[in-house]
Amino acid sequence: MNLAPYDSHQQGWTRRDAAHLLWRTQCGASETEITRATGDGLEKTLDRLLTPPEEDAAFAEAAALLRQTASDSDNIEPLKTWWLYRMTAGPSPLKEKMCLFWHNLFATSNVKVRSARHMGAQNDLIRTHALGDFKALLAGMARDVAMLIWLDGNANRLRSPNENFAREVMELFTLGVGNYTEADIKEAARAFTGWHVRNDQFWFNRLQHDAGTKGIFSESGNFDGDDVLRLCLKHEACPRFIAMRLLKEFVMPHPDESAIAALARCIRAHDFQMAPVLRELFGSQLFFSASARHSLIKSPVQFVLGTYRALDVRPNLKTTAQIIAGLGQDLFQPPTVKGWEGGRLWITSATLLQRANFAASLTNSDTYGKIGAPLISIEQQAELLLARDADTSPAATYFDKASGSRDDRVRGALHLILTMPEFQTT
Amino acid sequence: MNRRHFLQHSASLVAIGATAPAFLSRAVAADKNDPGQRILVIVQLAGGNDGLNTVIPWADDAYHAARPSLAFKRDTVLKINDHIGLHPGLAGMKALYDESALSIIQGVGYPQPNRSHFRSMDIWNTAQPESEITGDGWLGRALDSSAARFAGKVPALALGMENLPLALVAPRTNVPSIRSLDDYQLRFGDVPASDHQLRQSLARKLAGDGKADTSKDDLNFIRKTLGTAIDSAARLKEVAASYEPASPYPQTQLAANLKTVAQLIAGELGTRIFFVSLGGFDTHSRQAGSHAALLAELSGAVAAFFKDLRAHKLADRVLLATYSEFGRRLKENGSLGTDHGAGSQMFVVSGATKAGVFGDHPSLTDLDDGDLKHATDFRSVYATLLDRWLRIPSEPVLGGKFAPVEFLAV
Repeated sequence: MNLAPYDSHQQGWTRRDAAHLLWRTQCGASETEITRATGDGLEKTLDRLLTPPEEDAAFAEAAALLRQTASDSDNIEPLKTWWLYRMTAGPSPLKEKMCLFWHNLFATSNVKVRSARHMGAQNDLIRTHALGDFKALLAGMARDVAMLIWLDGNANRLRSPNENFAREVMELFTLGVGNYTEADIKEAARAFTGWHVRNDQFWFNRLQHDAGTKGIFSESGNFDGDDVLRLCLKHEACPRFIAMRLLKEFVMPHPDESAIAALARCIRAHDFQMAPVLRELFGSQLFFSASARHSLIKSPVQFVLGTYRALDVRPNLKTTAQIIAGLGQDLFQPPTVKGWEGGRLWITSATLLQRANFAASLTNSDTYGKIGAPLISIEQQAELLLARDADTSPAATYFDKASGSRDDRVRGALHLILTMPEFQTT
Repeated sequence: MNRRHFLQHSASLVAIGATAPAFLSRAVAADKNDPGQRILVIVQLAGGNDGLNTVIPWADDAYHAARPSLAFKRDTVLKINDHIGLHPGLAGMKALYDESALSIIQGVGYPQPNRSHFRSMDIWNTAQPESEITGDGWLGRALDSSAARFAGKVPALALGMENLPLALVAPRTNVPSIRSLDDYQLRFGDVPASDHQLRQSLARKLAGDGKADTSKDDLNFIRKTLGTAIDSAARLKEVAASYEPASPYPQTQLAANLKTVAQLIAGELGTRIFFVSLGGFDTHSRQAGSHAALLAELSGAVAAFFKDLRAHKLADRVLLATYSEFGRRLKENGSLGTDHGAGSQMFVVSGATKAGVFGDHPSLTDLDDGDLKHATDFRSVYATLLDRWLRIPSEPVLGGKFAPVEFLAV
C-alpha cells in the first residue's frame, strides 16, 4: 500500500477513526479530545497536531523549575520527572512522542554518561529538531557531549581510532546492517578522530584528527565527520532506514516493501524534514488501513500515559517514572545503544502482571495519581479505552457481582479493562 | 535447609493441616539419575568478555607482547596447567576446578565472526549464524520440540533481565522473564476478599483458555502470556514460602539471581532452564578494574550457588554454562582496553561434569585479521547440552548434526 491520502469525506470519519489517530500520535485521548477531533475532521486535527501552540507561561515556569532541580542535583530522576511533565502537561504531545522516537533511535544511556546536565542538553537538541530537520539533528548528535561520552569520542584518536561512534552512525542511526562494510566503518572512524569533549563541550582536537584520505562507499577524499554524515544521508539506504523506524513506531510492526519504499521516497522528497513527512503519513490510507489498526503493542510510556490521558489523571510524576521504568522503558537509560526494541519484547508474563498491578493501583489508590474523568458506564469506558469490538464481559460480570458501591465496582471493572490484552495494543 | 529437612518441614505442614502444595509430589519423585529432572542454568556475559584475560595463556610470550599494560604477570594467575591459568579474581571458579566441578571449553566460536554486539549475541541466541531472521532462540525451539513434557509448568525462566532473552523466545512456549519473585504476583489493593477472588478469576478469563486460538498474531501472543503470568504467579507463591539458602551468597545482583534460581530448583517448580545475565563486559577503555570486578562477581556468585546446591544435594542435577557474544582482540587498544574480537571460552559447572580443559587454547600467532581462531563450533556445545544433558534431540533444534564435546560424566 502506498501513501495515497485517506479521503475522510468519502470513506467516513468516525469517533473510532479519531481515536486511532490520537492514540497513535499523542499517547491516548480523552473523551473530550475524541469528540473534538471527530467534529474537526482529519485535516484540521492534523493541522493542530503538527503546529502546536506556544507553551503558556504557567507550563513553561513549572517545566523550568523541574529542569532546574535536575540540573542542580545533576540527578537523572528529576530529569525523568521533567520530561514526563512535558509529555503529560505540555502543549505538544506529538512533539514529545517524536522526542521519545529520536531518543530511542539515538539511544544514549545515563548509566555511562552519568550526567543529568548532558542528558538534558541532548534532550533539548532532540526537541529542537523533533519535528524538523533530521540532517540537523544528526549533525548535532555527532557533536553532542552525552553522545560523545556514550560512544567513546575521546578514545577516538589519530593513532588508535575507536570505531564505536562510526559503527553506530551507520548501523543504528542512518543505514542499518548490510548497507556498509567493515572497511567503511574503519575509514569513517578515522574521519571522526579528534571529535572530543573538553570542559563539558564539544572540542575539535586538531592534533588527534586524521587529515588523510579516506575511502567510504566507493568515494574518497579528505573526509571529516560531517562528510561521513553527508555520505550516509546521501546513501539510498538512509531514507529507507528512517522510513522503517517511523512505520514501526506509528503504523504497523511489519510494514511491507511498498510502504517502506513509498515513505522513503517521501522522506527524500522532503529532504528529511519531519513535519511534512509525518503529515503525509498520518493522513494516508496506509495509516487508516485495517492492517494498521490495533497492530502495535503499546510501549510502557504509551500504556501508562495513554491511560492517564484517557482517564484525565493528574499524575504523580515520580511514581510514574518508576512504573514506566519497571515496565521496561527507563527514560534516559535505554538498555543498549540499540534502544528499546519494543513490540513483543514489551510483553512478558512479568510485565503483564506489572501492567495489571499498575491498573489496580491507579483505580484503587492515589499512588500514581487521581482519576479526573467521570466514572461512566462499563460500556462507555470500554469504548473510550479500546475503541474496538472486544469481549468486555469479565468487566461487566465484575460490575454486576462484586460488593461495594457503584463507584467501587466501576473502578474494579476498569482495572479489568486496563488489563485486557486488547488494551495492550493500539 | 537441606533436602531431607525440606521434606520433613513440608510433611509437618501437612501434619498441622495445611494443604500440601502441589509441588511436593514432584519433590518426592525427583531423582538425580532421571534425565527428566536435570536443570540447565545459562549465565550470559553480555558485552563481549575478554576471554584472554579470563583463561590466561600465561606461558605464551605472544600474550605478554600483545598486551603490554593489560597482561597478567606469570605469578599472579591462578594456574590450571603449564599453559593456562585463571584471572586472579576467579578464585571461586578455581576452587570449583580443584573440586572437579568446572570444565573449561576453549576456543569456542563460529565461522565468519560478526563484531556487532547485537548481531553476534543474536547468533549465539538463535544458533543460526547464516540466517538474518531472528525469530526464535535455540532454547525456545528446544522447549517447543518437547512442549508436551512441559504442559502446565513453567519450563524456563529468565531472571533479573530487562527483556526475555532471544535464546528463550519460542513460537509456542511462553517463557516468563521476571526481575524478582516479589514482582511476580497479581495484586488488587484494598478490596474485600470475595471481590479479590472474583477479580482474580475474571482476570484469568481475559486471557482465554489458551486452546481455541492458535494464531500467531500479537493479540493472541498477549493473551497466552497473560495466562502464563497468572497461572505461574500462583505456583511461584506456593514454592517461595519454604526455602532457606544453606550458605550465604555475596551481595551482588548475579548472586541474588542465582539464589532465587536455587530456591526455585529446591522448590521443585518443574522449571528446567534458567537464564541469568551479567552485563558490562564491553571493556573498550581502562578495563583492568571493571573486568576484575565483573569476574569476581561471576566467580563469587557461581561458587555460592554450587555450595548451596551441594548442601541441598542438588549439584548433580544442575549444570551451569556461561557464554559471551565474542571475545576481544588479542592486542590491547590505545585506551587501556580491548576491542571486539571473536571466539572465546565457555565455562561449565556441575556435579555431573568431567572437570578439565577441553580443546586447545587458540593460537596467539595464527590469527584471523587480528583475532583468535575458534576450534569448537558453539553449536557443538549446545548439541551436548541438549542431547546429553537435557535429552532433547539437538538436530532439529540446531538444524544439523554437531559433534559433541565430551565434558559430561553422565
